[in-house]
Amino acid sequence: MGCSKREMLTEDHGESMSDALLFTTISIIGLPVDVHVRDGSVYSGIFHTASVDADFGVVLKKARMTKKGMFDTNVGTEVVIDTLVILANDLVQLVTKGVTLDGGNVTRSDEEAVTCEVENHIGSLMDAKQDNQSRNRSPVQMENGFAHGFPRSIAVNEHEGEKLPVKKTDRKDFAKIEADSASSINDRQPGDDKSKGKADNCRQKPEVVKRKINEKIQSLNSSHGNLVQVEVVEHGSTYMISNTSDNGLSCDNAASSVKLDDRCSERSKSADSASTISTQGVDLISESHNLLPKPVEISTPRGTGSTRNAKEFKLNPAAKIFSPSFIHPSSVTAAVPTSPNMVYVPNSSPSVSFTAIQPQVGFSSFVSRPPLPLKVAEYSNVSVGNCGSGSQLSQPIIGQLAHRTQPLRYTAHYTPDLSEPAYLQPSSPAVMVGRSGQLVYVHPVSHELIHGATTISPVSAHPMSNHVQFPKQQGGTVGQAIQVCVPPPVLSGEQQSYALQSHIQLLQPSFPTTRPFSAPVTNGFYGAKFS
Amino acid sequence: MAMMDGGNNNLEELAVGCMLSIRTTLGDEFEGQVVTFDRPSNILVLQEGFKHGPRRNIRLLKTNYIKDFTFLGQSDDPLDPNNCFLDLTALQTREELAIRQAEADAERIGVGVTTEAQSIFDALSKTLPVRWDKTVIVVMNEVRVGSPYNSESVIGGTPAANDRVKKMLEFERKRLQIRGTIGQ
Repeated sequence: MGCSKREMLTEDHGESMSDALLFTTISIIGLPVDVHVRDGSVYSGIFHTASVDADFGVVLKKARMTKKGMFDTNVGTEVVIDTLVILANDLVQLVTKGVTLDGGNVTRSDEEAVTCEVENHIGSLMDAKQDNQSRNRSPVQMENGFAHGFPRSIAVNEHEGEKLPVKKTDRKDFAKIEADSASSINDRQPGDDKSKGKADNCRQKPEVVKRKINEKIQSLNSSHGNLVQVEVVEHGSTYMISNTSDNGLSCDNAASSVKLDDRCSERSKSADSASTISTQGVDLISESHNLLPKPVEISTPRGTGSTRNAKEFKLNPAAKIFSPSFIHPSSVTAAVPTSPNMVYVPNSSPSVSFTAIQPQVGFSSFVSRPPLPLKVAEYSNVSVGNCGSGSQLSQPIIGQLAHRTQPLRYTAHYTPDLSEPAYLQPSSPAVMVGRSGQLVYVHPVSHELIHGATTISPVSAHPMSNHVQFPKQQGGTVGQAIQVCVPPPVLSGEQQSYALQSHIQLLQPSFPTTRPFSAPVTNGFYGAKFS
Repeated sequence: MAMMDGGNNNLEELAVGCMLSIRTTLGDEFEGQVVTFDRPSNILVLQEGFKHGPRRNIRLLKTNYIKDFTFLGQSDDPLDPNNCFLDLTALQTREELAIRQAEADAERIGVGVTTEAQSIFDALSKTLPVRWDKTVIVVMNEVRVGSPYNSESVIGGTPAANDRVKKMLEFERKRLQIRGTIGQ
């Protein structure tokens, strides 16, 4: 009779369960087991867990009595017990069939490694996620050549990005675990992010507000000058809402941001309900605060949420009324304002390419702004007014939210009907190649495409709807914007330029002839202006 | 081969890798190899069927209930401490899947119905969406088939659905009868 070293090891643990028993117990989790109890009855169920203290009690899920014992019990023979706890005193033996103990059904992780991984991840989850994001972004950045323009946070991300591959190579198997643990870990992360992210939030929030305001102003004037900016504005508005509505969340932004990483899922959720969108907006805000790069990535989700909101915003009751007459009218109306484009984009956005584009857009907005001293000044001005203005804006927006929710539904319905997303995607990839400014234009292209597709017959109707909505939307936004942003005169100059652009764009949508090629040209043009 | 009378004292000397033939106080009798013996919980972990591929049966047996056992031989430690891997994620997913499957199976079993009714239900379920509403088989959420599960007991639903269920029911009943006669 030989004693294995494992056996020897177990001796050291004293009263706790031996490693081998623990291993065996864990390895049969989720397997069907038969538990024989003292009176001879047998319960079959899915092994859920066991007490690892001195007494070995077990818990079965979906257990049924498969053999009646000598004694009457409170368990019927035909009843499926959701959770059956068998105490150690009653347990005689537990039989599991078809188990592979030697890691046959297990990938590569042993318990210790897992635990270590989890610990490490707790610390580094944020990094990892950021790394993921940074990876996704990094190529974009490279393409855009904006890397130099990005704030420090981006650089940090890049570093992290470098780290990640190493981790993954070391622990391929753990990737899943990490992902899973991420959810739980996220809760902790917020705390970490809070500490370092709070400061950023404080200053970044105003920036966001500023952006929003600026963008709104622009949107008021023309809102079309840059689709990107317009989008941003919309995003900003959504963010604002979220912030105001969820004041307490600012601290938790980090957590939310982490969640945002799973945009795809959230997007779908956002599509489902406006409330989810609002939450996204919050998350987005937080992300924007924490990391500039994040906002970029986030932008896609924003686009979905914000664009929808924008749709709701812009959708006038009248537009709704009109919509029934045309199959695609809703899309048209949405298309007219830049924001609607966003809406469509998000729908189509499921494709990776699109998401990447939107991030670029966000970057472009960022990039363009920092370089411009004028804009900075604007921001500063705005920031001064922002504290009050932000709140004001948020409230009106909130009021509109109710309206939005319904429109959102409309959008969702329409989008499936419309083949627009398909059109958008083709155009978008081309845009991707271009830069942020181009991206902005790209959206118009998509609109154009959409218009062409949707409006072929109802062309006349489109301009009508567009015009009508436009003034209304502008009016609404203007009212808000006026409250908030009156201060910055500098903006007006830029805004005007934007407005011109916007007009051009508007014209383009009205004319189905506009084509993707034109977009790149315009992009270059805008880019020059921005720069 | 050493024969030892049952007794907890002897069991404490059980070592990993022993091949044992065990009889329990409940009348079970089986052979297995000792994977481990956990003294605090007094549980003996045995594996059986290890000669045939990687899959084996695991028994966790309270030593209190060993009536007697026979020592059959000695072999290596069945667990390689360097090769004990657990994928917690896989385990979780496995459990979730198993529970979901169990729930789905549980819904398919009528409570308080005859085996004939259950077999009819199973037959119908192959082609139509069916569920139990107590002892009534609900087909396509509209047609109800109650005891005695004849074509006369088909109630509700659109005429087309009703007719279809009736035909299916008759057809399945015929098949069940044929199978029953063959079985006999």
